[in-house]
Amino acid sequence: MLQRLLAIVRKELITMLRDPRARLALIIPPIIQLFIFSSAATMEVKNIAVAVVDLDRGPYALDVQQRLAGSRSFTRLPPYANVASARGALEREQVIGILVLPSGFSADRAAGRPASAQLLLDGRRSNAAQITAQYVSTIMAAGAAPAANAEVVIDNWFNPNLDYRWFMLPNLVGMLSLGVALMITALSVARERELGTFDQTLVSPATPFEIALGKLLPPLLVASVQATLYLLIVTLLYGVPFRGNLLVFYAAVLTFAEACAGVGLFISSLVHTQQQAFLGAFAVLLPFALLSGFATPVENMPWWLQFVTTINPLAHMLRLMQGLFLKGASVASLAQDLVKLLEIALCTTTAAVLLFRRKAA
Amino acid sequence: MSDTLTRVRSWWQQLAAIMIKEGKQVTRDPSSWIIAVVLPLTFLFLFGFGISLDTTVVKIAVVREDGGRDARAFADALTSSRWFLVAPATDRRSGERLLQDQNVKAVVVIPAEFGRRLYAQNTTAQVQVLVDGAEPNTANYVHGYVGAIWSGFLAARGLEQGSPIAAPVSLEVRYWYNANAVSRWFLIPGSMTVIMTLLGTLLTSLVIAREYERGTLEALYATPLTRGQILIGKTLPYFLLAMVSMAVCVLTALLLFQLPLRGSFLALGLVSAVFLVPALGQGLLISVTMRTQMAAAQLGLMTGYLPAMMLSGFLFDIHSMPPWLQAITLAIPARYMNVSLQTVFLAGDLWSVLIPNMLFMLGVGALFFGLTWRRLHKRLD
Repeated sequence: MLQRLLAIVRKELITMLRDPRARLALIIPPIIQLFIFSSAATMEVKNIAVAVVDLDRGPYALDVQQRLAGSRSFTRLPPYANVASARGALEREQVIGILVLPSGFSADRAAGRPASAQLLLDGRRSNAAQITAQYVSTIMAAGAAPAANAEVVIDNWFNPNLDYRWFMLPNLVGMLSLGVALMITALSVARERELGTFDQTLVSPATPFEIALGKLLPPLLVASVQATLYLLIVTLLYGVPFRGNLLVFYAAVLTFAEACAGVGLFISSLVHTQQQAFLGAFAVLLPFALLSGFATPVENMPWWLQFVTTINPLAHMLRLMQGLFLKGASVASLAQDLVKLLEIALCTTTAAVLLFRRKAA
Repeated sequence: MSDTLTRVRSWWQQLAAIMIKEGKQVTRDPSSWIIAVVLPLTFLFLFGFGISLDTTVVKIAVVREDGGRDARAFADALTSSRWFLVAPATDRRSGERLLQDQNVKAVVVIPAEFGRRLYAQNTTAQVQVLVDGAEPNTANYVHGYVGAIWSGFLAARGLEQGSPIAAPVSLEVRYWYNANAVSRWFLIPGSMTVIMTLLGTLLTSLVIAREYERGTLEALYATPLTRGQILIGKTLPYFLLAMVSMAVCVLTALLLFQLPLRGSFLALGLVSAVFLVPALGQGLLISVTMRTQMAAAQLGLMTGYLPAMMLSGFLFDIHSMPPWLQAITLAIPARYMNVSLQTVFLAGDLWSVLIPNMLFMLGVGALFFGLTWRRLHKRLD
């Protein structure tokens, strides 16, 4: 049986890697994605442009503007005569907000009366707008705060500079393995059906069970090669720390890839054409990605969706990656997610093999 | 005269014939309906509920090493806040353990002597906050929340002692178009862009590659159809399919997610129709370039769907990206679609914003269709 299984695995690997273009397609696009996404996927707000309407023209208003200009986050502070004229720039998204310093601002400050300024923000980009509001109010308050004898000291663990890339890169390791493991298996049976070679495989001495296993193993190989590559790029090139256990890392990658490959094979057994397989894989990929904490935190979701995330392999994979790369979480706490992942992998693999056998029979 | 008329009529008849053939192929496949209605609804649902940047409740641990009145008052302020769910931690070590094992997002430590230092001269009472920085967005919110509670605590204490700390400078923040700064309001128009890209580009990218793979392309070329007719005939059914699902999305957004529509349905329809030109054009171009469906699908995913997701300003603010990447986003139709949709939904029919965006989308679309037309010609020879 082992011999027949190995023969099938070999055949699958050959079909996958025979074409030099296909070989490149397995390695190059994910790496390009890693580079582009790690730059694009940022929730940090930088290069902020805020229009300034200075109706005060006093020393304190000037002080606020200089403070903003001195901050790294603000790159442009174009002046406008009034709000109406600045509005067009906001509509065209040239600025994210308009800071209005009303007349009497400096006089109030000088007299010790409470002074107030207005910040009008573009609600179409509400997240960036909220963070901009935080920056502006911090900068303004810092200029005015009296010395106090009490303070809050903030210490950011795991990611001292709150670098968004440190968060994104470990997540991408999980995300990109998901894509490759799912796509390879989802298209495998559908392609053979379309090309008519599926029947030939079925009449070979290999049992359907062995054929199914033979299709599930190659993605594991590809996923672990890719994961190794990512691990090197992420730690050596981007300087993200890896504080966990390498064995746990590979155990996580393999279990996760198996869980995804199971889903892929299930889809592939269900459909008739590659187009359907592709769409099926896609229809799974997106919910997995959205309900995993990849882009936005699981904690922000309603409770019933948070429950759904517990059966999403990617959600566990991301917690494992965060724990391994940044947090150096204890093996005991990682084991929880690893066991969950293993359960999911068992379920998807069993379901896929059962469906495959039924369809092949 | 009548000769021209006959020719025009037969041209239309031929076009109608291929459209009927393509239309049948689309409608007969049950998966098309799943794609046009079920898929967009599911995605919109997931996007609407699953993606939120509005941090609701954060789990934190509070370690109180000082048993005094002030320390308890601050700890109570944290516990009773609607932003935090406080887990008990007996000492600093166990708090740190909770943080490391991903059970809480932050640990607030009120050190021993906090109360005494608060009243003594020449000392500074410190509260330490250990924040899980791994996810910077949440970390930023935690900073903001703790800061706000801390200011409240100080102000209350000042009042008690008869020396109110008047905030000397206040910033009055107002959000235009989205008064409560609900992230869903800007995410849902963005999700529609992603869904439209999916339908427009991914589905059409398989159209001609499929005929090539199945060997039916020669049969199509052998018909008297011109290139223009083939292009229009292949595109129009998908155009209609995408418009139907756009309508489904808009209805869902308005009724289920209570999104305001401050612009007109006319502008919405116009923007969607215009966006489909580059989206469909890109799909067709991929389809005539690639020989297999697998390769076409991959290219469609890489150049259509992923940029719409990552580089369109849907989730990640374009202005915060590095300059080289901002330059790349200029070439992505989804970026212009995103701004247009957000504008029509939240701001209204600002034609000064919409027209330049639509012109750009049309330009890119013309380029894609032109290239497709040329490639189709080469193979006909």
